[in-house]
Amino acid sequence: MKYLKIVLITLFLSNLSFSQSTEGVVSYNITNNWVKRIKPLNYLSKIKREKYEYQYMSEGDWKLKKLLYFNENESRYIDSEEKTEDELKYGYSFKKEKYEIRKNHKQKTQNDIIEMLGKVYLIDDSLKTQSWKIKNDIKDVAGHICMNAVREDTLKMQKITAWFALDIPIPAGPERNYGLPGLILELDVNDGGMHIEATNVSFKKLTNEMEYPKKLKGKKITEDAYQTLITNHVKDKIKAEEPLYWGIPY
Amino acid sequence: MKKSYVIVCLLLLSALSPLFSQTPNRVTIKGIVSDTTSEKMSFAYVMLLNPTDSTMLNYIRGDENGAFEFKNIKNGKYILKVSYINYLPLSTTIGPFDKEVNDLGKVKIKPISKELMEVVVRTARAPLTIKGDTIEYDARAFKVPEGSTVEDLLRRLPGLEVDADGNIKAQGKDVKKVLVDGKTFFGDDPKSATKNLGAETISKVQVYNDKSEQAKLTGVDDGKKEKAINLELKDEFKKGKFGKITGAVGNEGRWAGKGNYNKFNKNEQFSIIGYGNNINETGLNWNDYGEFKGSTQWQNDNGDFGFIAWGDQRFFFEGDGLGYFDGRGFTKNAGAGVNYNFDNKKTKFTSSYFYNQTKLDLNTISNRETFQQNGSFFSKDTTAQNNFMGNHSIGMRYEKMIDSSNTIIAKANIRAGANDRNNSNINGLYRQETVLDNLWDINNIYNSNSLRINTSAIYRYKFKKNKARNFAASIGLNMNNNDNDEAIKSRNTIFNSSNITDIIRATSLVNLTNLKTNQLKASLLFLEPLSKKVFWETFYNFSSDNNNTFRESKNVLESGSRVDSLSSYFENNILYNRVGSSLRYSFDGKNISVGLAGVQYNLSGDVFLDKTSALIQKIDKKYTGITPYFDSNFEFNNTYLNINYIYGLNAPQLNDLQPVVNNSSPFYITKGNPNLSPERLHLMGLSFQKYNPGTFGYIYVQYNFKLYDSQIIYNQSINDNFVTTTTPENLSGGTNHDIYTSGSYPLIKTKLTARINANFGISNTPGYINNVLNETKGNNRSVGFNFNLTPDPKFFMDLGARFGTNSYRYSIQTAQNQRFTNTNLNASLKWNFMKKTFLESNFNSIINKNEKLNFYQNQPIFNASVRRLFLKENRLEMRLAAFDLLNKRLGISQRATANFVSNEVAGTLARYFMLSATFNVKGHEDKLSKNNF
Repeated sequence: MKYLKIVLITLFLSNLSFSQSTEGVVSYNITNNWVKRIKPLNYLSKIKREKYEYQYMSEGDWKLKKLLYFNENESRYIDSEEKTEDELKYGYSFKKEKYEIRKNHKQKTQNDIIEMLGKVYLIDDSLKTQSWKIKNDIKDVAGHICMNAVREDTLKMQKITAWFALDIPIPAGPERNYGLPGLILELDVNDGGMHIEATNVSFKKLTNEMEYPKKLKGKKITEDAYQTLITNHVKDKIKAEEPLYWGIPY
Repeated sequence: MKKSYVIVCLLLLSALSPLFSQTPNRVTIKGIVSDTTSEKMSFAYVMLLNPTDSTMLNYIRGDENGAFEFKNIKNGKYILKVSYINYLPLSTTIGPFDKEVNDLGKVKIKPISKELMEVVVRTARAPLTIKGDTIEYDARAFKVPEGSTVEDLLRRLPGLEVDADGNIKAQGKDVKKVLVDGKTFFGDDPKSATKNLGAETISKVQVYNDKSEQAKLTGVDDGKKEKAINLELKDEFKKGKFGKITGAVGNEGRWAGKGNYNKFNKNEQFSIIGYGNNINETGLNWNDYGEFKGSTQWQNDNGDFGFIAWGDQRFFFEGDGLGYFDGRGFTKNAGAGVNYNFDNKKTKFTSSYFYNQTKLDLNTISNRETFQQNGSFFSKDTTAQNNFMGNHSIGMRYEKMIDSSNTIIAKANIRAGANDRNNSNINGLYRQETVLDNLWDINNIYNSNSLRINTSAIYRYKFKKNKARNFAASIGLNMNNNDNDEAIKSRNTIFNSSNITDIIRATSLVNLTNLKTNQLKASLLFLEPLSKKVFWETFYNFSSDNNNTFRESKNVLESGSRVDSLSSYFENNILYNRVGSSLRYSFDGKNISVGLAGVQYNLSGDVFLDKTSALIQKIDKKYTGITPYFDSNFEFNNTYLNINYIYGLNAPQLNDLQPVVNNSSPFYITKGNPNLSPERLHLMGLSFQKYNPGTFGYIYVQYNFKLYDSQIIYNQSINDNFVTTTTPENLSGGTNHDIYTSGSYPLIKTKLTARINANFGISNTPGYINNVLNETKGNNRSVGFNFNLTPDPKFFMDLGARFGTNSYRYSIQTAQNQRFTNTNLNASLKWNFMKKTFLESNFNSIINKNEKLNFYQNQPIFNASVRRLFLKENRLEMRLAAFDLLNKRLGISQRATANFVSNEVAGTLARYFMLSATFNVKGHEDKLSKNNF
């Protein structure tokens, strides 16, 4: 009897969620930590990294808020206009560099807008497959049961852990992460270097949120050209013995 | 059971395979996801993973009947993974296939127990890790009171029962074994771990089936499974420590020693440090200070809310233990400290104690030319000084985030210091450069003891409904007590006196001074968001300063009788009130604030001849003013622009108000002025900064402007015997312009960087000299270049030059206009010339010149050292160093003000050699490093 109840509840829940879970917006809280970003950069001296950690351990957190609009085919990831606690605490609004991640998962295309190295780049290209490893962990994120997947970005020396929802079958996610069976609601880069967590998923009919900005200044490049820019920058930073993510999005 | 069904299917499939002659290249795999009761599960995720590394190769979603079908995929071995809410994810190996279409039939998945889902996943929001039948969960999600044991923790976990004796049952079965990090914990009794370990040390709890002891012994699985628990320890309970110790000996009795030791875990930092030397290292350098203070070195909060008020930093002191040496004399130094920090994000606690002492031996020779309205006079001064300074300081800070809206901070700093100084001074005054007119021979013994206590508390409240709405209150109590006594003996010989009794005059005075200050201060702040981008801030600052100065001067030559003209008792109170309000626009890198504050100072003072005698003078003054404020910051394209303006209103300093004569130096007497009014000035600043992250190029420009409505000026009057008396007075006028710029550009990226910086300042300062108004126009210019060359990871070089000119023009004595220049040339190199062996050297040449005074001095300082690393992990460093190889170091300074120019030469440590050994627990770096990122 008890068992039957679970099944019924499960069925009810699944019906409820699947009936309308393909369009809406996710609010993410992002915590960046400078100390944890330094930790895995093994081209920097270990003694220095340890000293940096000892001295800045309680300083590192910097919080942001971002939004991900999604429907069955597309997703758009942008800055939220809502003030973060840090901005309220310091009474200061920092300039955010243009960073808009836009993917069409059906046509397998991307139109990202990324400001870095002093320029705005428009990355128009097809969407390449990301190589995710599926793990056996589950947990609840913002009221959704999620499953665990990991991938590695060898160029930026990043270990990325994602938690994707079992009840939102949208292959989108925050930052430049995508391609999992469900929507990514939590993401971690290098054990807290950047931690992204959904605070709310709201399913609603979108109106003009997916519209491409009309006036766009920037240099159009391919994904390969973008990767080349990053590769050269990382090489320079390694030579200069500075953290490689200085000047580029983490 | 259900799983075996799938396996049977697969076995059947593979058994049938020989019947087919060809294995297809492309296959179709289909099936139906169902649960253990054969209920079809709609819309489950079905994934195909690479069997070697679990990389996802393909995925689909089952339809509403649970049916899935992968069409036209490469034949091969896969992991089929099925996941569904509230069910254990299923992983099973499939393929390679012998036929084109492969029906896996029903793929059955098992539900996760409702208890686990509700308690662990939904309520505690802990992740579940599924390893076959084992489920592991994150213990950190289960809150237990502080000081709880693992047993208390286990009681809260679903599926586990702990009885009164501490026996554990998991899913109804006895737990026979408890492991910690996979290892047995103090013998076989499972209770030894659960009763003794603290709950806060555990990160994960794994419950799994263990084979029975008999099965392990016989190797035959008897099917009996025992329950076992593994407790995984948190990383942060793996601790760290580091430390180093250095000893050094040199020629001519030079020595130095230093050591520090630090111990830490995730929440705590503990450190001790000590040093001693006779090589003019008077305290810690920034590097050691940073390690000593750990993660709290940047905490700085005073409770003075509201926009910046110019001036008033009387009670500010931080950075105890940091050394500062002005380049003059010989010192012997010692110090030691201990620091403890605790930080778990919600509670932060810091405490430190530091003692440091310095004994200074100083001999100086200085020349000064003082201008008068007609002509000038010269003084030559020879000083010998012994000075002892010792300080104990204790600092504490506590911060607690009570909940998301309430935070409190409490701080206390105590500092007790002693200063004993013995000064003998021969000062000759010359009417013409060579004719001695007046000779002073002074002996001064000074002892002082001081105690300073600062305490403050800050409370912040964030409103729950709108987190941008904020309220804060602060209170501070500060106390300062300074007792000093000094004995001044002086003999004054006047060579051109006509009166024979005036030729030689001797004085011997004893001055006792007690200074007491008590300050109470409080501040309030309210911040109201008017919209998402506009904020309204209102604040109130209050402070009340009570000062008592008691000074008694006795004439030793007249059997200790009191000198009334030099003695007094002064009581005063400064009441400060400031109310202000500002509007702030803050959005997308644009931050603009506009504000206005009303300031009121009530200064009251009573002057008595003695503590018990009648009032001789009463001061009662009230100053009010309105001070506007503007600050704007713009950020665009890696460019930052700041424009700011403040109107400053600053009450006179206490010393300047007291009508007490200070005659510590008998030919330079200072006297306060009770009629002073506050300084009022306009301050404007502008800065521009641009960085190009693509080219690594950088430029910065800053401009500051000051215009005084009322400035406190120290007027000087010089009598016939060249005794200068200074008295502060308000004067309007006076301007200051300062431009600073710096830039850097990599000529060859990561290999050669060029830097330039330049400084340009003009100042106009009015002042009275013997009641004649003089305007001093100052003009300072300097420009520096630097090339940083790092062609190879083993060879770094730095070349630089700096040229500076200071000129002063006087309105009443244009003939005395001054111009002096200083040139600084430097070169340094670091070379890793053999494995683990380094040569480091720098050369710095300072050339000071003043053509009018015929002053020219060139100080080429050349240092070089060789060091080599030894032992495992390079723990030992041996270093041979030579300081000032050319033996040229002298403490030289040049100065010019409204009415004098001077230069001074002080003896200090010149050439010496040292051999040092440093043992570092963590080892030394075995390569050169370009920067500190």
